[in-house]
Amino acid sequence: MAMKTNRKPLYRRKAFLIILILFAGFLCIQFMRPDVPNPPVTGDLEAPADVKAVIQRACYDCHSNNTNLRWYDKIVPIYWGVASHIKQGRADLNFSEWNRLAPADQKGKLWESVNQIIAGAMPLPGYTAVHTGAKVSAADLAVLKNYLASMVHSKPADTAVINAADRQYQHWQKNKTAISKLPTAANGISYIPDYKNWQPISTTERFDNNTLRVIFGNDIAVKAIKENKIHPWPNGAIFAKVAWAQLQDKDGTTHTGEFKQVEYMIKDDKKYASTFGWGWARFKTPKMVPYGGANVMFTTECTNCHKPMAAEDFVFTQPIKH
Amino acid sequence: MKALYSLFAVCSLMFAACSDNKPVELYNTKAALPSSPKYNLDGLKVITSFVNKTKGTASTLYGNDQALKSAIDGNKTVGTNEVFTLVTWKQQDDDHWFGAKIPSDIESVEVIKTTSSGNSVAVNYQQLNGKSLDLKADTSGQSERIKYILGQKPSVLP
Ligand code: HEC
Ligand code: HEC
Repeated sequence: MAMKTNRKPLYRRKAFLIILILFAGFLCIQFMRPDVPNPPVTGDLEAPADVKAVIQRACYDCHSNNTNLRWYDKIVPIYWGVASHIKQGRADLNFSEWNRLAPADQKGKLWESVNQIIAGAMPLPGYTAVHTGAKVSAADLAVLKNYLASMVHSKPADTAVINAADRQYQHWQKNKTAISKLPTAANGISYIPDYKNWQPISTTERFDNNTLRVIFGNDIAVKAIKENKIHPWPNGAIFAKVAWAQLQDKDGTTHTGEFKQVEYMIKDDKKYASTFGWGWARFKTPKMVPYGGANVMFTTECTNCHKPMAAEDFVFTQPIKH
Repeated sequence: MKALYSLFAVCSLMFAACSDNKPVELYNTKAALPSSPKYNLDGLKVITSFVNKTKGTASTLYGNDQALKSAIDGNKTVGTNEVFTLVTWKQQDDDHWFGAKIPSDIESVEVIKTTSSGNSVAVNYQQLNGKSLDLKADTSGQSERIKYILGQKPSVLP
């Protein structure tokens, strides 16, 4: 009996000591906190009040300079995660510096935002688990979708658009756009001229940004489609997606107008492991100007938007078999 | 111990519920082109692609090398051995992107083939309708369709 009563306090003391050490450590790391300042708002998102209210409530903690940290966000190590999300969130999309984006890019970011919400990727699920008030309800989503739908207009092309398309066409028709030295993007991927001889695997009408697109697949991609081996796509598969401005005629037919860009995704799970197993590149205008310039970080734009398609190997297109 | 196990079971159930269990639709099965000896897209290239927003249709015009070359020259003259194939689908909303429409059920496949006939060129036209690719027997309006298809300006593909 005596032994037992002796042992217990000892055991208790050990546990107590451990807890004390852990707690001291916990207190110490509280001082290891990265700074999360709220820089000045240079030009806030402009949108109807109901639209803005949803975005402010659900997104502003990470995508604005008006971050509102709750006490539980400030506890290390949770705080480390919060701080890094805010840093990255702001860098990729900042509603407080909205005026820095061209109008077309603002529109693009809004469509991307709504699609990230639909896909369940934003607001980050780990965040809404704690900040339940930030969840976007079906009614909230309808508000956002209606707003975007109201921005869609389709009307016959005006003469300036028609003339620009004609000039580009004539240039191309006379083979003046042929390129002698292949332009290369910052990540080392070069323009692949042969894409136009590949098979189309689908087409899209994008009414969010008034373009028409054809998605081509190289032989490896097309073979994989035929053999049902696209989950994941095999190494060597390449997609080329071409975008043209829409050119609507008076009869209601919308044709491909000015060529805007060609984009590639090249599958290689080893070489491109850091970018979801795909090599990404975009070349703009018939001059094939590499997007992103010398900054290799342009690929985070591609991967961020394609990320919700992780279950489909980051590919949006559902190929059409024939 | 029992309580621990049931807690474990509940947790794994919750995980299963949270993890993505929506079925992955890899192909656009609705828009799939039936294989048939009536037409053949193998080796054909894209000439252009267009949509009709009023009718809600999307079309892609394919052609063999001769057809593509003629189309780029504005189809001023019709050569022999040209093959044009215009595939038209109904459109559907893209489940993966709010803001996009993609092809849906097939509406028609129109095939133009040119052959030499004596000193001139014969232009043959066939319209195959629906998924079953039923040959349209009524030949009225054919010359209009030929004119329409040959009148399509190719897409700029630099
Ligand atoms: C808890 C922080 C957090 C919240 C809240 C949040 N995001 Fe994000 N968001 C991020 C991070 C971090 C990234 C960077 C990419 C990643 O990690 O997925 C990001 C990336 C994005 C991107 C891609 C940006 C680009 O173009 O590269 C969009 C769009 C986006 N978020 C929209 C939203 C919208 C809309 C909301 C509100 C409905 C929202 N986010 C709420 C943290 C957040
Ligand atoms: C704002 C979202 C967004 C961004 C950013 C984005 N993509 Fe995509 N991408 C899409 C969508 C949506 C599709 C599906 C086709 C369509 O509707 O245009 C797609 C399709 C593609 C395809 C055809 C294969 C597929 O996944 O369907 C390629 C290739 C591609 N993108 C390359 C790129 C490259 C390269 C970048 C970066 C330079 C990029 N994308 C950035 C949204 C995006």
